[in-house]
Amino acid sequence: MSAAGNEYVIETRGLVKRYGKLVAVDDLWLQVPRGAIYGFVGPNGAGKTTTMRILATLIPPTAGEAFIDGYSVTGYPREVRRRIGYMPDFFGVYDDMKVWEYLDFFAACYEIPARERPALIDDLLALVDLTHRRDDMVEKLSRGMKQRLSLARTLAHDPDVLILDEPASGLDPRARIEVRELLVEMARMGKTIFFSSHILADVAEICTHLGIIEAGNLVAQGTVEEIRRQLLPVREITIALLDRVEDARRILREMTGVAQVRDLPDEGGRKRLRVDFTGDDAALSALLQALAQRGLPVVTFSEEMRDLESVFMRATRGIVS
Amino acid sequence: MTGRAAAWRRGTGLLLRNPVMVKELRGRMRGARAFSVLTIYLTLLGVFAVLVYIAVTESSTSVSGQADVGEIGRTLFGGVVAVEMLLIAFLAPAFTSGAISGEREHQTFELLRATLLPAYALVLGKLTSAMLYVLLLLLAAIPLQSIAFFFGGVSETELLLALVVLSVSALFFCSVGVYFSARSWRTLSASLLALGVTLFFMFGLPLLVGMIWLLADFSLDSVGGSAFEVAMLYGTGAVLSLNPPATALLTQYLLVNRHTAGLFSYTLVNGDSVTLIAPWIPFTVFYLALAGIFLFLAVRRVHVVME
Repeated sequence: MSAAGNEYVIETRGLVKRYGKLVAVDDLWLQVPRGAIYGFVGPNGAGKTTTMRILATLIPPTAGEAFIDGYSVTGYPREVRRRIGYMPDFFGVYDDMKVWEYLDFFAACYEIPARERPALIDDLLALVDLTHRRDDMVEKLSRGMKQRLSLARTLAHDPDVLILDEPASGLDPRARIEVRELLVEMARMGKTIFFSSHILADVAEICTHLGIIEAGNLVAQGTVEEIRRQLLPVREITIALLDRVEDARRILREMTGVAQVRDLPDEGGRKRLRVDFTGDDAALSALLQALAQRGLPVVTFSEEMRDLESVFMRATRGIVS
Repeated sequence: MTGRAAAWRRGTGLLLRNPVMVKELRGRMRGARAFSVLTIYLTLLGVFAVLVYIAVTESSTSVSGQADVGEIGRTLFGGVVAVEMLLIAFLAPAFTSGAISGEREHQTFELLRATLLPAYALVLGKLTSAMLYVLLLLLAAIPLQSIAFFFGGVSETELLLALVVLSVSALFFCSVGVYFSARSWRTLSASLLALGVTLFFMFGLPLLVGMIWLLADFSLDSVGGSAFEVAMLYGTGAVLSLNPPATALLTQYLLVNRHTAGLFSYTLVNGDSVTLIAPWIPFTVFYLALAGIFLFLAVRRVHVVME
């Protein structure tokens, strides 16, 4: 049952889904905090869609439990459906409907009273910037517009949680950015957004939390920074000096937290070193101070920010269940 | 408000303002398709009515040289009803055989399953929208049927009972379509199965019963016995009540010759009389029950998938 103070609005405990001998989801322990934008990433066939379909009450798990806002997806499917807005990775087309009729129909399916629907539809269309297409047939919309209309549909009953399967898949760059901005807007409205994507740039851009799934297993979970630190424990520091590179190398090797010092090719007459560093920010600051105190001519001292792709590649091994 | 009262209010609300029904009707009546079907349907009926009129006026001229206008009216009316029955037998299952399978094919079934829409509301919404369109076809044909009133020989009761038999048949055929649509993954296979069942009840059943009678070579004279005669009467009546065209024909025959639409007495060979019932009554009960069963199975099927 619901626990209003639940820290995790989506939670799975040892979730398993098998199709015959194929294990699509294997002992999945997912925790999505309330208000998070949670990116669920993994290679194709990793079990993302299966997990989302279980959370959306569309398929039952083989074992384990899944909860939305404290409600079991198998025990209280109607309560779960009330609380979620689900968007699959395809756009179900009713080719004989107008845009407003599409929203009106789904609002009615969510038992929104008829007298409330016109205002609701106007608000939703304004939110996804489709007011000007209100009376157009759905089939005439571009793919990006259809995706935005789908997002509007998921909000028809004002759910707390949005479960979105590949919301930016197959969209052109402009449409992708529009969808991304919409997700951020929805998060601002207080929704928890749980979405899958294989476009890591999108995930890196907007996510507060990240879950990496491979072969049905969750290989990493937490805030983006936590995962970055967890999977990439070594920080790469690049130091450029005018001279005395040998002294610098010797001093650096004596410092705690320095795992390795490598030479980089000179650049613009500057000597460059790459330091693999395992310490925290304080230790890093101490490292810079030590170089300065010894009078070394440091020109630049910077940390290489490795992107989410490095994290992803580090976390996954390309296994498909 | 108690939970039960709220559930009742929600249930009746879903039946009266069913979102699926509203959506289907909007889609069905939009554009030229609905009006094209209606136009073709009425044109076919009209052409047939003219042909029947020409044929009957040619053949029913009496010795005095005057046409039997009552006969013209009855034949015209019967002919139009027969064609309506035939068209509905093909159209009604076609209207519903894509009801659920079409949602799967358009990838919209998943979206509906994630909403609060119950399985029965989905099935009833699809059925109601199809039935309303069929009723529109039936009502649109009433002016054509009413031409028979100019000639006489046809009563309002006949018109009313013809509407009942046609509507009940349409409901049954629509239910068959919905059931196979819920069972099948493809609309094409659902259409074929629904059409197969429809054709069986329309034409296969009379052929089958006729063949059995011919093979068994039943004869009241050869077997004899009033009990057997009564059994044969009820048996024949029951079989006739299973077939829409036979029911319509026999009901009209009883109205014209016995002036009854309910119970009537029949005199046996030995002079005793037995009470029989007009076939449209058992037909209505049987087909409504059968439609109910098909709908129940369809709802159960969709419910299993949805839950």
